Amino acid sequence: MKPRLIALIATALALALVVAACGSSSKTTTGSGGSSGGSSGSSSSSSGSGTINGAGSTLAAPIYQQWGSTLKGQGLTVNFNPVGSGAGQTQLEAATVDFAGSDPSLKPSDVAKMKGAVLQFPVAAGAITVSYNLSGIKSGLKLDGPTISKIFSGQIKTWNDPAIKSLNPGMSLPSSNITVVHRSDSSGTTQGFTTFLSDTDPTWKSSVGEGKDVKWSTGTGAKGNSGVAAVVHQTAGAIGYVEQAYALENNFTYAAVKNSAGSYVLPSIPNTSAAFLGIEIPPDLGISTINSPNPGAYPIVSQTFVDAYKDPCKDGGASSGTAGALKKFLTYAFGAGQQTLGQGSNQLPYAPLPSSLADKDNTQLATMVCNGSAIP
Amino acid sequence: MEASATTVAGGRSALERSPASRLPDRALKWGLSGLAAAILVLIVYFFIRLIGESHTVFSQYGLSFVFGNDWDVNRNIYHGAAMLVGTLITSTIALIIGVPVAVASAVFINELCPRRLRQPLSILVDLLAAVPSVVYGLWGVFVLAPKLLGGEKWFARTFSFIPWIGGGTPTLYNYFIAALILAIMILPIVSAISREVIATVPAENKEAALALGATRWEMIRMAVLPYSRPGITGGAMLGLGRALGETIAVVLVIGAAPVIGNHLFAQGNTFAAVIANEFGEAQGIHVSALFAAGLVLFILTLIVNVIARWFVSRGSHGARGTGATGMTIASTDLSEA
Repeated sequence: MKPRLIALIATALALALVVAACGSSSKTTTGSGGSSGGSSGSSSSSSGSGTINGAGSTLAAPIYQQWGSTLKGQGLTVNFNPVGSGAGQTQLEAATVDFAGSDPSLKPSDVAKMKGAVLQFPVAAGAITVSYNLSGIKSGLKLDGPTISKIFSGQIKTWNDPAIKSLNPGMSLPSSNITVVHRSDSSGTTQGFTTFLSDTDPTWKSSVGEGKDVKWSTGTGAKGNSGVAAVVHQTAGAIGYVEQAYALENNFTYAAVKNSAGSYVLPSIPNTSAAFLGIEIPPDLGISTINSPNPGAYPIVSQTFVDAYKDPCKDGGASSGTAGALKKFLTYAFGAGQQTLGQGSNQLPYAPLPSSLADKDNTQLATMVCNGSAIP
Repeated sequence: MEASATTVAGGRSALERSPASRLPDRALKWGLSGLAAAILVLIVYFFIRLIGESHTVFSQYGLSFVFGNDWDVNRNIYHGAAMLVGTLITSTIALIIGVPVAVASAVFINELCPRRLRQPLSILVDLLAAVPSVVYGLWGVFVLAPKLLGGEKWFARTFSFIPWIGGGTPTLYNYFIAALILAIMILPIVSAISREVIATVPAENKEAALALGATRWEMIRMAVLPYSRPGITGGAMLGLGRALGETIAVVLVIGAAPVIGNHLFAQGNTFAAVIANEFGEAQGIHVSALFAAGLVLFILTLIVNVIARWFVSRGSHGARGTGATGMTIASTDLSEA
């Protein structure tokens, strides 16, 4: 018995070591302490010219994964680690990745922490739907910002509340209780949703505010889009905010939301894409698609960016080959890559860039250099 | 014997071994001491690092980080009383539900169950430990929480006169669901330790009780349980340590509301859950606050483990198989097999 036991323990230990080793090599540090950043820096500088590494936005992760699998056929490997927008930025600061995926635009305080000048490129947008589970009401529910804000702060408790009724005349709303579902984890989706509520309702802005984590006064917290989707799906009378892709996947019923032009718009892909039009485009391309003034735009739309160093060789520690690969990836992202987004059955359910914005991305990409000289 | 020992040139006894042949012995001693010390160093380093990282928060909030009640990331306010209460409530309820079941299963397996079934049953209970915690969490999300909601509502309505237990409006995710899942998760360790402890009760004690005319139940109550109580208590404390630190299963079914729930079926949060939920996007002092949460959790589990040790050592006669790790349990299981 004894030798067998020892052999077993030894095997278990060996296995544990192997697992630990794999775990630490396959994922880069999340850049929590900052001091550990240097250890994984080799990934961007020493590896082959055909590999670039990115980290960040969970919203955009399916896009980068899809593009990565397409580009693999052209000899370019794109690794994307969906650790969240904030963690992605932290990794770019430590130069452990070649690009960061981030939903919010870079704040001046973020830029200050970077090793050098940083470029941000809008790549796509995703709508945040207000999905609900009401048997009998499959479509046609209309909501506006202040009403959504009152629902998510617990002031409106039942579906037949006068505020909801007045927006939906003629609809027979049940008297059942509303179960609010929100994210329990830090999320760019929460950021986008609460930014919209703050924009449209001053009370929300002063009482709750906008952020990746806010202090909810009512409702149930669930982890991830899929967690919120599960609760909405299981609970009659539930309402929650879910990214478009998940809502489409789960065949949810979602509300048409009143936009800044006063019309009620459903979160379809064209209506989401429309959010790019009519918005102010600052020189650094740090746009916000929340509450777009375009009359056809769905109002709760979160844009997503690729952030990269203007000089990836000098500041990001990349080889000229890696910088070339990064440029190739971004050229694809603003060009052919956009064709993979849309509402077709073989497309990812995200809103592609309008060509005017893609042109701006390409113009900015031309300014990217390697050690001061142009990238071929 | 001593006198007949011959000596060789160096004046060394012929029976003595050459220094070189003792090398493996010495290597073993120093090697193992080094490894053991490494564990200690790691824990101390861990502790120091946690203190260092959480220093910002503690210097700003002091003890109000632990006892104040307001956690608002958006406004950079970090008072974790809701998490402390949530951690303690879920773990305590998990013990209240889990330990009786675990001890009952141990008593059944040792004293009442047919001999043929003993091994398979033990293995089945131990198998619960092999289920990954995220699977328990998902099961909670998709099966337990929605299925039990109706029952919880009925319970809260019917027993509304009991303070804290009834009266409130149950939410889909709540303390009770989290505690129930934790109870299942601590079952294997508590049951395995109880089983080992109960197996050490001397047959004489049991036979004496039976000889005095005790029934099975009286024999268990008078001979088995008192003898194994310290060991069972130690096992329960180890289960508590497990429940305090459990993360992902709780994250999925606690509701993550940073408030102190005012009834059993209200949602709350725990320290482990808040770390897992918020770490990914945390920046600045928020990171420090999460490290502080880790430190509080670390100290909490340390205290629980010390108490567990104390219970176990106090009743040393029942201590066989009450090691802090699953290893002892695994080894006894193997030797039986």
